[in-house]
Amino acid sequence: MVERRVVVVNRLGLHARAAARLVRAAHGFRSTVRLERADRAAAADAKSLLSVLLLAASRGTELVATADGADEEEALKAVCELIESGFGEMEEVGAR
Amino acid sequence: MSSRARKGRGEERLRGGAVSEGAARGRVLRVHGGARRPIFKVTLEAGEVEREARRFRAAVRLARRQLLVVKRRAERALGAEHAYIFDAHLLMLEDRKLIEDVEEVIRSERVNAEWAVKVVTDRLLAVYAEIKDEYLRGRSTDIEDVTRRVLFALSGESMTGRRLTEDAIVVAEELMPSAAAELDFARVKAIATDGGGWTSHTSIIARGLGIPAVVGLRHLYRRARTGDEIIVDARTGEVVLRPSGETAGRYDGGTGRLASARAMEAGAAADAREPLLTRDGVEIVLRANVELPAEYEGVSRFGARGIGLYRSEFLLSQRGAMPGEEEQARAYAEVAALGGEDGATVRLFDLGGDKLTTDAAESEERNPALGLRAIRYCLTHEPVLRTQVRALLRAASRARLRIVLPMISDVTDVRRARAIIEDERRSLLREGHECGRVEVGAMIEVPSAVIVADRLAREVDFFSLGTNDLVQYLLAVDRGNDEVADWFRSLHPAVLESIRRTIDAARAASIPAVVCGEMASSPAYAVVLVGLGARDLSMTAASIPRVRRALAEIEAARAAELAEECVRAATADEAEEVVRRGLGGLWPQLFSPKTLPPPKSGG
Repeated sequence: MVERRVVVVNRLGLHARAAARLVRAAHGFRSTVRLERADRAAAADAKSLLSVLLLAASRGTELVATADGADEEEALKAVCELIESGFGEMEEVGAR
Repeated sequence: MSSRARKGRGEERLRGGAVSEGAARGRVLRVHGGARRPIFKVTLEAGEVEREARRFRAAVRLARRQLLVVKRRAERALGAEHAYIFDAHLLMLEDRKLIEDVEEVIRSERVNAEWAVKVVTDRLLAVYAEIKDEYLRGRSTDIEDVTRRVLFALSGESMTGRRLTEDAIVVAEELMPSAAAELDFARVKAIATDGGGWTSHTSIIARGLGIPAVVGLRHLYRRARTGDEIIVDARTGEVVLRPSGETAGRYDGGTGRLASARAMEAGAAADAREPLLTRDGVEIVLRANVELPAEYEGVSRFGARGIGLYRSEFLLSQRGAMPGEEEQARAYAEVAALGGEDGATVRLFDLGGDKLTTDAAESEERNPALGLRAIRYCLTHEPVLRTQVRALLRAASRARLRIVLPMISDVTDVRRARAIIEDERRSLLREGHECGRVEVGAMIEVPSAVIVADRLAREVDFFSLGTNDLVQYLLAVDRGNDEVADWFRSLHPAVLESIRRTIDAARAASIPAVVCGEMASSPAYAVVLVGLGARDLSMTAASIPRVRRALAEIEAARAAELAEECVRAATADEAEEVVRRGLGGLWPQLFSPKTLPPPKSGG
């Protein structure tokens, strides 16, 4: 099992679109991927959109990501990079 | 409803947040947005539990198929960047947490699926209600929307096809995104909701479609009754319920804008039957693209010359099984009748394996856009194709129908499909059925088809240019992927040259070419298409009046000069700039800078 800490950086947090991308990404791997809030308030299966949304991870939230399985390294890397990249979002709402 | 809460039936003014532009006056249509239908608990015998779980899974599959259709429709109507929400809905539907929890409740509590869905939904919503972040908390509407869809699927009712009255103004507590996407927007004049904010789906959708919308009105839903007169002014954020004659007069006469908008629409309807000529006398035919039954009414209302594209996949979204020959024949006859003497062009099922099998994992393709879909799917699943063809030929005995073959990349596909059509025509006649003649056309949406367009033109009766897919395949840009949205450029010189080349090939072979991508529904793009030589456009019916109004004011010869300049441009940016400058300069009364598509970079 591998573990890493990440901080949610995009403005809207893990909202529907970002969460959907995260879940799609996690589905690409065989490993189990879990996300837990660093404050231990909630934990989620990264392959379940409903549980990822329930993390209520807004901007600035620190998460502990873990992956366990044959492709754990790649899975952890993919999920963490996606979160750290801010899901490639611009300041979408304000800029409209 | 308590009578105490209801004030007098006089004028009431409410102020909310304007989230789009414009103003409209019409009649209230209350839309119940939530999942708050009464749900009953039924206790099951032990032996019934597994059957109930299966019934639930079937409902989830049906809901999933419907959502795929809604998603594609939203992509077309609003663009991929706004359709993402339906991707989130799909993921919720596929979510183990939801599915397994519901099944667990069915089994452990021995209850009906509806009740189990309610229990699990309530549990989820309770957790969501605790979330502090407002935006995230707002996502609970997504969960309600998804579970409501499953409940509908369980009830066997359909959520689609809601018939709207003339000049309906939708009033809701909160408009669920998929309900919003399924409303017949051709008829919705404005939207006013109690909840919602700038980022709510309702607002995004309203802006995308250019419908006036005011949100955050608190108690409007409770105060309004269906049929009440109402003014929604998204310029000021004001909503007037049951306006007095004086207020109404002020709105119509005072601002002038509401009055002129209505006059414009009335005018459009009045001359909708007249042939559309540009100022220099070139005739342009405008047809309707149709998918959902809710869109049928708009066809004659907006003066479409028949149906230029019927997306037949819709028939598959409504039920589990493939509809049989009889049922399809009835559906096609209805669509053809709708098109009147101009009839309808039916596109064969534009499907990939992912949309037909219920088990997503089983048919996952690495690259579905380039996979076994559309004509390729039809040719490899011959019984599906033959049933559809028979239904079409039978319907054609009573009305004018054309068949268009989707995703043609090679003349061979056309020959194989035509052989099957001819084969089925003979069988039908042998069996004593009545059977009509149909014209067979090719969708031109794959670059190879553009390159061999002259050879294809000899083997088909017409071309249909699908601009959405043409852009996707020509520029190698997945139109469902936000990441590359900046590379999706309808005015890329390569796209424009391909369109022109296809139209030229059709003209040389004396066959019609209909441009039926959504590009045609934007007045600015429609002018460019006419400049490229298009004389036959098909679009969402609701767009016909504004496209008609624009094309009636232009000179085709000047549009051709403009288009020529665009084709010669080095980049998509340059072509877009030519269009922005050119249209504003040539026809400033039609194209104020605001009405033109904004520059892609920085938007």
